Amino acid sequence: MRSSIASSLVLATAVLLSGCSSSTEQESSPTELTIYSGRSQEFIAPFLAEWEKKSGIALKIRYADSAELAAQIREEGSNSPADIFLAQDAGSLGAVSLAGLFTTLGDEVGAEIQPQYIAADRSWIGVTGRARVFAYNPRLLTDLPQSITDLANPVYKSKLGIAPTNSSFQAFVTALINAKGEDFTQKWLESLVKNDVQIFAKNSAIVEAIDSGKISIGLVNHYYTWEVSQGLGRKISAENGFFTSGDLGNMVNVSGAGILKSSKKYAAAEDLINYLTSQVVQSKFVAETHEYSLIADQISPAGLPSLSQIGAPSVDLESLAEIQKTQELLIKVGLL
Amino acid sequence: MTSLEVSHLDVKFGNRKVISDLSFSLSSGEIASLLGPSGCGKTTLLRAIAGLLTPSGGTIRLGTQLVGLSSLSLAPHKRSTGYVPQQGALFPHLNVARNIAFGIDKKKFSRSQIESRTFEMLELIGMSGYEQVMPTELSGGQQTRVALARALAIKPKMVLLDEPFSALDAHLRNELRADVIALLRSLGATAILVTHDREEALVASDKVFLMRDGAIAQYGSPEDVYENPTSPEIAVSTGDAMILPARQSMDGTVSYPLNTIVNNAAGSKGYVVIRPEEIVVSQQSSVGMKAKLLALDYFGHDAMLTFSLAHTSDLIKVRVAGHAGYLVGETLSLSHEGPIRFFKE
Amino acid sequence: MSDTLTRSGRTSSRLVALASAVLLVTFIPLFYLVIRAAEKPVGAIADLLLRPRTVEIVATTAIILVAVVLINVLLGTLIAAGIHFVRLPYAHLLIIPMILPLAIPSYVFTYTWIALVPDLSGVVAAIFILVLTTLPYMMLSIVIALRRLDSGLIEVARTLGLSKTAILFRVVTPQIKGAISAGSLLSGLYVLSDFGAVSLLNVTTLTVSIQNLFKSTYDRSGAAIMALVLVAASTVFIALESGLKRRQANESASRRTGTKHLRISNSSARISLLVLVSAYTFVGVIAPISVLLSRFFSNSAPIQWAELFSAGLSAVSIAAAGAGLALLFSIPLGALVAQGSSRFALFSEKAVLVSHALPGVVIGLALVSLGSKLGPLYQSVALLAFAYAILFLAKSVAAMNYSLQLISPSVKEAAATLGKSKGEIARTITFPIAFPSIALGTLLVFLTAMKELPATLMLRPIGMETLATQVWSYAAVSKFNEAAPYALLLIIIAAVPTFLLSLPREALDRPRNSVRDLQLGESR
Repeated sequence: MRSSIASSLVLATAVLLSGCSSSTEQESSPTELTIYSGRSQEFIAPFLAEWEKKSGIALKIRYADSAELAAQIREEGSNSPADIFLAQDAGSLGAVSLAGLFTTLGDEVGAEIQPQYIAADRSWIGVTGRARVFAYNPRLLTDLPQSITDLANPVYKSKLGIAPTNSSFQAFVTALINAKGEDFTQKWLESLVKNDVQIFAKNSAIVEAIDSGKISIGLVNHYYTWEVSQGLGRKISAENGFFTSGDLGNMVNVSGAGILKSSKKYAAAEDLINYLTSQVVQSKFVAETHEYSLIADQISPAGLPSLSQIGAPSVDLESLAEIQKTQELLIKVGLL
Repeated sequence: MTSLEVSHLDVKFGNRKVISDLSFSLSSGEIASLLGPSGCGKTTLLRAIAGLLTPSGGTIRLGTQLVGLSSLSLAPHKRSTGYVPQQGALFPHLNVARNIAFGIDKKKFSRSQIESRTFEMLELIGMSGYEQVMPTELSGGQQTRVALARALAIKPKMVLLDEPFSALDAHLRNELRADVIALLRSLGATAILVTHDREEALVASDKVFLMRDGAIAQYGSPEDVYENPTSPEIAVSTGDAMILPARQSMDGTVSYPLNTIVNNAAGSKGYVVIRPEEIVVSQQSSVGMKAKLLALDYFGHDAMLTFSLAHTSDLIKVRVAGHAGYLVGETLSLSHEGPIRFFKE
Repeated sequence: MSDTLTRSGRTSSRLVALASAVLLVTFIPLFYLVIRAAEKPVGAIADLLLRPRTVEIVATTAIILVAVVLINVLLGTLIAAGIHFVRLPYAHLLIIPMILPLAIPSYVFTYTWIALVPDLSGVVAAIFILVLTTLPYMMLSIVIALRRLDSGLIEVARTLGLSKTAILFRVVTPQIKGAISAGSLLSGLYVLSDFGAVSLLNVTTLTVSIQNLFKSTYDRSGAAIMALVLVAASTVFIALESGLKRRQANESASRRTGTKHLRISNSSARISLLVLVSAYTFVGVIAPISVLLSRFFSNSAPIQWAELFSAGLSAVSIAAAGAGLALLFSIPLGALVAQGSSRFALFSEKAVLVSHALPGVVIGLALVSLGSKLGPLYQSVALLAFAYAILFLAKSVAAMNYSLQLISPSVKEAAATLGKSKGEIARTITFPIAFPSIALGTLLVFLTAMKELPATLMLRPIGMETLATQVWSYAAVSKFNEAAPYALLLIIIAAVPTFLLSLPREALDRPRNSVRDLQLGESR
């Protein structure tokens, strides 16, 4: 009886193995493309469906957290089934790039995207822009911060929310380390901890807490006030605010895409990225996901200053991949 | 049914020998009892015959078929021994009819044959109409009956009963035992009954095997083992017995408290074994030894009297029919009318 | 027992080999963790372990664990004993709302309760949510033990002059100690491995810390080290539990000698029971489900029925595959324990529990690492089912052990002497008797697998969504209205096995033979 169980196990495995079609199609005529998307299905799926219709190529999409997907791709290495990695932030793209798992994109890819939003080695390309802001409850807070260093002031004691596990926040801290050094960053983080900074799992939770009055201010990306309001189906008591021009708190990060070296479907993958970075689709992003277009001189999302007017500091997006130091620091000060 | 022959059987649990060099045989249609204290190996012997454990040495034959050998043991399901375990071990998920029909070969017999065999068995055990009842709804006695019917339904070569009545109360026990033995006899069954009840062993069987420490200490007909024990201990194991100090002179005559005052200097030292029913009580002072009645235990059909003798500290037990009207404290005379079983020390 | 040794010597070595193979397979995640952890220099490992934050995380985890288990023991015993002993009309039906929260995943509890109490966060909130989630395990365990309790013992105690209260403490409690201990183990291991609730409530337990470190892209070895800390914590917990537990002698051997139950009918006991039961029903069933229903009905967007249906189908089929595989794996382990308590059997019983405490993310990651080298097997339903099997094997093994212990060896011996081979005995005796309990255990695995999130997110086939992943991804973008239909369908599907779990086992342990059915055969 027992041996028959063992053999039926083997049999079951064999059936499953043979049941799964092996995907070794040739570059020439791909019928499907595999995408790892760190961008949430809610917002990106309509765009991808549109491309599917246009190209006739079916998309297999795996949705998850950008950082998790980057870790998964690194774990999979050259065995990764993914062709394209769509990420929420430059840091996750950089992590894959640093592991040498992205292929170099041709010059014709995303030709209209401004060069500061493309990796210098062309391993990935920015698709949409997202500005760091502080969200605040105007009914609870009138004393707005001018700089991130103001956040250590007693006015914000127990009132400030951050999401240290969120990759946008980590990218911002990385930029801070690169600009001001590790010591400065550590002291700043410690001053926040001393000021009883409130920890959240994600940006939307910060905005919800601001809306409910639990806290009065939080460091988030610009579109979360819009997104939470959409989700709740009502106007909320949270607005975006910008620090003074050039402050790292106003940093602009990108969501972006790269093509895996292990992919055998470069042409189709390139076509998809070109589609996402085309003028038509970029303006759709602005309207439908409330993000910034990365093409020069485009209109900005409703109610927000344009990308060139928000006083973003100049940040080398590629350097945002070096988040190891950042995380060690966050662990050290006890935020991770 | 067939005969059984066990020879030079050894059973080991790990390094511990539970049965050593045990041999006996049973003719077809004979009913035997295995009697012994718990731990003597009687259940182990039964399980070895059923094939539920593999002996480490010796052979077991059912009829002419060799079923047990240290190197090669026929699996229990190929032996066709009807096994009735303690408390029945009925299949809890099957009703009475399915329990009984469980062992009947479905390939050899048609459904209607199996059904009629089941009804036959139910009639045999006096439980017609219980087909659909589940085991948990049966009394202890009924469970034992069904277990027996289940064993008999396969027309076994022999029937092995492992203390089947031990969980029942005395009245039910005697009745059920009589029924079962009568049933087994009417079928001409070869059977082994494991028991620790000495009366049960004597009343139920043609042969009694007395087991001690993994070996057969004595066997024979019930009368034989009762009347002619080979040692004082065995005498006690088959029924009430007194062991009294005795002396045997050179000419073979035995002196013991009930025939004389034992002379502690003469002859070889030993014991006599006397059964309480072998002593006659009389009010005439001319015969036997004088004794004072110390206690009277009345059982209804008989009574046990306890006497003290003047010249020895040993108490004498006497079984008499009915109450017999004796008074505690009176002096009576006792005489032994039975075989003098002398055992040298 | 000892006389079976000579008989089974040969077969058990084959069984041990098979069981070892299963154990080895379930240890894959552990091997992965050790390899990953070893990538970090010893000094760095020490730094990570000794930083104050680690101590804080371990302390937080321990506080939640101990609090949840203690509250479970208290409430579980009170409610279970109340349902069993207090005289109330339809008292036996009260168990259903008590068990129903099993159908609700901890992250759905958290979402719905946050909707009701927006301020909900922190350690106390985590304890509250985790008690809601795990109390049914404790209650189920105790109720089953009470149903098996020999009421003859209670009658004897009453004749010895004990008051009803004294009977509860001196007779009943010692009898259900084993069940309380088993319930503590189940709920404790759940608390250790829970991710959804604690992360949503902003509490950093070991699981959350592992997830955070793993997300850190560069620090997979850090995540592995913290995961090993979690393994150590669960090992300590398992050891403590088995140290406290006095192994109850083979329960199936004990017979019911009495017929009458102890019945408590004073009104204060009745009112207390009703209050407890209604309170728990409210917080554990009514509140979350009404939040979901109100979200569902206030959803302006039309429901994507096709998506909902396909997510439901995927959830059910993957969970079923996982439960089936867990069942298959548990057979050699169960058979080993059923053969007698050898040292290896005891070890294997504990060893499967260790994987049970591992969070899904760890098992997911280990299987990503291994699976990506397996070609088409990677991101297949088979691999995800395999992950479920590893995660929930302990539940399956527990059910297997329970049901195999129901069968006394003498019954199997009787069958052997009636001409049945080992295979036939397995088919006609062991399987029919053990089947109902094994089926329930498999249902429990199915139920848990359907709620599983982290490993599902990581290992599900590309493009495949389950109910759990849909709930998670909609909720992640604050679309609670859109998440509601998925959560409701998940709860509706999960309620079916949950309801079966709440039925008295006896009703299932003994398949009823209909009166007219006199088919004298083994086949049914």
